[in-house]
Amino acid sequence: MSRKFLETESPAWVTEGLITEAQRARLLARYPPEAVQAVGLLPLLGSILVGLSALSVVAANWQSLPTTMRLGLLLGSLLAAYTGGEYFLRRGNRRLGHGLLGLGLVAFGTSIILTSQLYQLVGYDVSGLLAWVVAGVLLSYLYDSQPLTLLPILIGAAVQTYCTQALGTFSYATMGLVALGSGYRWWRRPDTLVASLLAIGLLWQAALWVALSHAKITWFFIPAMLIYAAGDWHRDRPGARALQSPPLVAAYLFALGLALFGETDQYAGLLRPPVLAYLGALAAVLAISVGGKRMQGRLSSLPDWLLLLPGFYLPGGLPLAIATLVVLYAHAGSMLARAHRSGNAEQLTLGAVLFIVATMVAYFKLTWAFLDKSLFFLIGGVLLLSLSWYLRRRNAQRLAASVAAVAVAPLPTPENGLDN
Amino acid sequence: MQTRSNPSHRLLLRLLVAAQVLYVLGVAGAGYATTAYGQHITLATSPVDLHSLQYESFVRLHYTAAEVPLTAWRSPTPPRRRQAVYVLLATGPDSLATVAGVYEATPHPAAGQAVLRGWVTEVYARSLGLRYNLERYYVPGSSPLRLGKTSPPLRVQVSIAPWGQARIESVRLLKP
Repeated sequence: MSRKFLETESPAWVTEGLITEAQRARLLARYPPEAVQAVGLLPLLGSILVGLSALSVVAANWQSLPTTMRLGLLLGSLLAAYTGGEYFLRRGNRRLGHGLLGLGLVAFGTSIILTSQLYQLVGYDVSGLLAWVVAGVLLSYLYDSQPLTLLPILIGAAVQTYCTQALGTFSYATMGLVALGSGYRWWRRPDTLVASLLAIGLLWQAALWVALSHAKITWFFIPAMLIYAAGDWHRDRPGARALQSPPLVAAYLFALGLALFGETDQYAGLLRPPVLAYLGALAAVLAISVGGKRMQGRLSSLPDWLLLLPGFYLPGGLPLAIATLVVLYAHAGSMLARAHRSGNAEQLTLGAVLFIVATMVAYFKLTWAFLDKSLFFLIGGVLLLSLSWYLRRRNAQRLAASVAAVAVAPLPTPENGLDN
Repeated sequence: MQTRSNPSHRLLLRLLVAAQVLYVLGVAGAGYATTAYGQHITLATSPVDLHSLQYESFVRLHYTAAEVPLTAWRSPTPPRRRQAVYVLLATGPDSLATVAGVYEATPHPAAGQAVLRGWVTEVYARSLGLRYNLERYYVPGSSPLRLGKTSPPLRVQVSIAPWGQARIESVRLLKP
């Protein structure tokens, strides 16, 4: 809640008798104006500028510096960053300390790259940069810090990109280090941001693997759904959902693409991996996912898997498009039903949006060819307006019911308020 | 929750930092060792554009060995783009290396031959485009290339370590 919000809203609270004038004054005193904080940023900004100037002096003269001096500069900045980080941590300044430790890790990667360049040395596998990922994962275990946990995930994605693009091989070691190392780090201390970034980083690596191996792109969903299934086994619900969202978004976009472009057999042909191998792998992942859902009592989220139905094995053309649309409708419907049962407003909105998207795709797909164009747009607009009116009304009713329930029930405790 | 660093943490961090410093020194050591124990070959380049030096610290080298006829391909399966390959080089009487064959697996070099690793960049109808990752040459401040105005052909001396790493040792102008 911002101070500005507090300033504009609190007079109304006083008039409504929610709080007294004295309480309002205390609340305002609790959150001082932000100008003071902005002034506090100036030293940081100043030191960044000074640092940048030093960096540009070194960068401009880099090639004319003697070899030993260049090596010394690299190692010196690495040691300085780590020592500084350790110093500030000991003094209790966690944020600055962790920031400097992260800088040290970045300096390590830079040192590997620039030292290879110093000797014009070519490495033919990723082992040189793999050490960077290893160091990052180890460092993330040493400290309880979100940025230091995010760093090895980003480094892993970067190293894998370099490895596949420049060296033409896929580094399974990098993938394994991020999935197991950073994954286990997250498992022990769940965090939604780390979960999302972990899932996105691993999906990126999986996509690189598919592109490099010239495999059918549907194979991408085996590792992607493995990430999803891992979320099913985790106790922490928000963290698990954050881990599962990126694979689900990918699966949804894929299904949407299939509904839009699946008619041409040429596109569908690109998607068909060997039936037994693909379905076997998918079923195995599904089994893992169902096991986790049952264990954590989340079987209600099973309809997520509707998006993974391998409709692309159907003959291309209208049957495929219609089958995909049915799946999209079933998915949106299941989400709406779940949201109505749990009274989750966010999920309700998402379900409504997905429902409208499915309707629009269906409408465009099925009526574009034979409807007069002005009639086409008119009906489409009316359909959209009425659907949004209907869904909004349902939402409003639903939310009004839940607000009434809260008003009748005793005031929620802080634990209840935070639990979502 | 850990709010301050305790001694055991500090020790672990120090070990980790020491390992990183040793690793970077190891990379530098590999650079020295490649020259000291490696096999030395010379590669020819086509004329190099020196104008890029005005805004970059490196020049792009185009080796004559970067394009080989398809007849040099020594593998039953056809070459693919981005594939990693082993290039067998034969050193001629003028110490210039020429491509004797391109292999998918490590070939066994005879005397006077060397193996350099590379990647297929493009497969043409009659030839193969190759890349050695030695194309970027970071020009030292003292190099005569920094004074050059024209685009000279170059001779690049490369050393190849017994464990397969390679580095550019020196670059000289064909006609000073």
